[in-house]
Amino acid sequence: MSTMVENRRQMGITAPPPPLRRRRRWPWKSWLLFLLFAGPNVALLIVFTYKPLLQSLYYSTLQWNIGSATARQVGLGNYIDWFTDPTTAHVVMVTVVFTIATVGGGMVLGLALAVLLNRRLRGRGAARTVVVAPYVLSGVAVGLLWLFVFDPNFGICAALLRAVGLASPDWYNDPQWALLMVIVVYLWKNVGYVALVYLAALQTVPADLLEAAALDGATPFHAFRRIVLPLLGPTTFFLAVTTLLSSLQSFDIIQAMTQGGPLEGTTTMMYQIYQEGFQTGRAGYSSAVATILFVVLLLVTFVQMKYVEKRVHY
Amino acid sequence: MSVVPATNLNRRRLLQLAALLGGTATLAACGGPAVGGSGETAQAGATDWAGITPAKEITWWSNHPGASKAVEEELIKRFQAAEGIKVNLVTAGANYDEVAQKFQAASGANNIPDLVIASDVWWFRYMINGQILPLDGLAKHLEFNTDDFNKTLFDDYNFSGNHWAVPYARSTPLFYYNKKVWQAAGLPDRAPKSWDEFDQWAPKIAASAGVVPLGLGKGTSWAAWWFCNILWGRGGAYSKDWTMTLDTPEAIEAAKYVQKLIFEDKTAAVTAKDQVADFGAGLTGCTLASTGSLSGILKAAQFEVGTGFLPEGPKGQACPTGGTGLAIPAKKSPEQQLAAAKFLKFLTNTENTAYFSSNTGYMPVRTSARDGATMAQVYAKTPQFRTAVDQLQTTRVQDWGRVFVPGGDKELTTALEKIMLQQADPSSSFATASSAIEKSFEQNVKSYL
Repeated sequence: MSTMVENRRQMGITAPPPPLRRRRRWPWKSWLLFLLFAGPNVALLIVFTYKPLLQSLYYSTLQWNIGSATARQVGLGNYIDWFTDPTTAHVVMVTVVFTIATVGGGMVLGLALAVLLNRRLRGRGAARTVVVAPYVLSGVAVGLLWLFVFDPNFGICAALLRAVGLASPDWYNDPQWALLMVIVVYLWKNVGYVALVYLAALQTVPADLLEAAALDGATPFHAFRRIVLPLLGPTTFFLAVTTLLSSLQSFDIIQAMTQGGPLEGTTTMMYQIYQEGFQTGRAGYSSAVATILFVVLLLVTFVQMKYVEKRVHY
Repeated sequence: MSVVPATNLNRRRLLQLAALLGGTATLAACGGPAVGGSGETAQAGATDWAGITPAKEITWWSNHPGASKAVEEELIKRFQAAEGIKVNLVTAGANYDEVAQKFQAASGANNIPDLVIASDVWWFRYMINGQILPLDGLAKHLEFNTDDFNKTLFDDYNFSGNHWAVPYARSTPLFYYNKKVWQAAGLPDRAPKSWDEFDQWAPKIAASAGVVPLGLGKGTSWAAWWFCNILWGRGGAYSKDWTMTLDTPEAIEAAKYVQKLIFEDKTAAVTAKDQVADFGAGLTGCTLASTGSLSGILKAAQFEVGTGFLPEGPKGQACPTGGTGLAIPAKKSPEQQLAAAKFLKFLTNTENTAYFSSNTGYMPVRTSARDGATMAQVYAKTPQFRTAVDQLQTTRVQDWGRVFVPGGDKELTTALEKIMLQQADPSSSFATASSAIEKSFEQNVKSYL
């Protein structure tokens, strides 16, 4: 080998210098493939998600009547207005109550239904369909339907209460009853989703673990609490994140049933964004509320990821 | 296992992220309003209409007030036959607010119609946003007779010396009563002339018929509308021009009177969902509802319905106008605008006004239509309609604080609902509403005027 090199040197042939960087093979092909598969999605995300998000952030610094071609820069004015507005505390309270009731209630009811539907019962298939069906219905249609159910004069609810000698609550004129009404309807519509996901998770719980626990003398309650619930941890975590996000963004049922009333008793932050943006026409203020809600959602998700997930065993 | 994939944020990634955000931010800055402007109300007289040829096709956004889709389609058919201009009728919402919301949102994208519904609480916002055209120049060019319009209804759209819309489906609140209930209570077959008279009649109605004497409606676009009657009838007002006047003794007294009816006398109740439905179902003896509801009430009620003027207050008769007009967007081409104006002229001529009113129950907006043969037949067949038309003479233009300030109606509705549902103190409820409306005026109207 050394002789060959010596001979080449003598012939005036020198070895090429080693490449500074190893050249990638056909990198443009990879890029082309990436663009082909990811490009459309990335473009859609930029146009329909990230651009509107940043636009909304920009609009939140403007005093802008929706529809007007001109606006005025007000910096953080809209944010200051929202934090100092006397109705803000009320809207936040309604949002918190609605969210806790729909997320907490939905998880408990959904799990209970899933446990029930996981048993070998007659008509189980039909029952599962009935429980899940409302989830796929339109929120507006569900809201309009339940308006009849809760009608204090002609509704089924009033008729049932009259049958036992009670008067119907003033669902449409009392803010507290109105909030309870939309919570009940929201739960009815969405509990099927939670039940469905829990049901799928329950079916992955190894039967031998439960049999072993039974042989060791564990009661069904203890087996559920000590074995099933911990194994459902990842599902519970997943559901907590998704149902919380969808609850904070709920709009259709409130719009169909109460339009945020009476007395703003069912005005959540999401509904306030719509009211301010499209009814009052204050697009800048509405964008500021949307940004605040966005930050709240980010923080809540971050906290869930950071702290709650650590307690989940996969 | 972690839900979030682990990523190392090195310098290159940071630069990529910054580039992505920067690019998207640049995109975000594209479009949207021009910052720093002081409003751009469309100017009259800028176009020489004599040199313009009307377009051959236009689009009209409507919510078909009073279930009028078939009526509007028939009018379009007649117009196309007469002028050869095609009109695309678009259902742009279920009510005035939905059409307005769509129109506002579409303005940013310039995907707007050539003619649009402009209700009493929306047209002014269209105007200050520079979205609609002043119509006086076009009317003059087309020899569009506007003197024949009911003066109050036409002047509702008058601001800064121009008319920004023309009346179309216009209405007023009306007093509806159940004749069967009236008969049972031994009352004369007419509406009470004044609220004092109603106070005398109401206990008889409650005692003999076992129904709530008066059903009152709530909600935006409604509560603050009918309350004009009681407020103005006692000498109060929501505002005088841009100054809120809800702190006057007259305004407070008007609110206290409503509270007396509901909480002390128990002769009135705020209905749960819809005061018209409750009245039609016989749950209340009488109600205040729009004249636009007349046809529906007459069809739905299982009893004979009487109508009358809204009761007078101590300071006399007081009735607001409502409903919608039609406006032409400012950003369309002159050819489109001219074609839309020709259609507007056709739609609101004497014959078509009478056709629309007789089929929907809305007010005949032209004097010639009101007094014409078509409407005479309607009055003969449905005398209740005549009451609604006669009441037009007692109407007055609405207070600016309610209809011109964004959020004005909503704030007033909230105040009235607190007063009617929670027996809240009228002074503090009105003060809260006034403060919010004044702030909204400063922020959303003043700089645009």
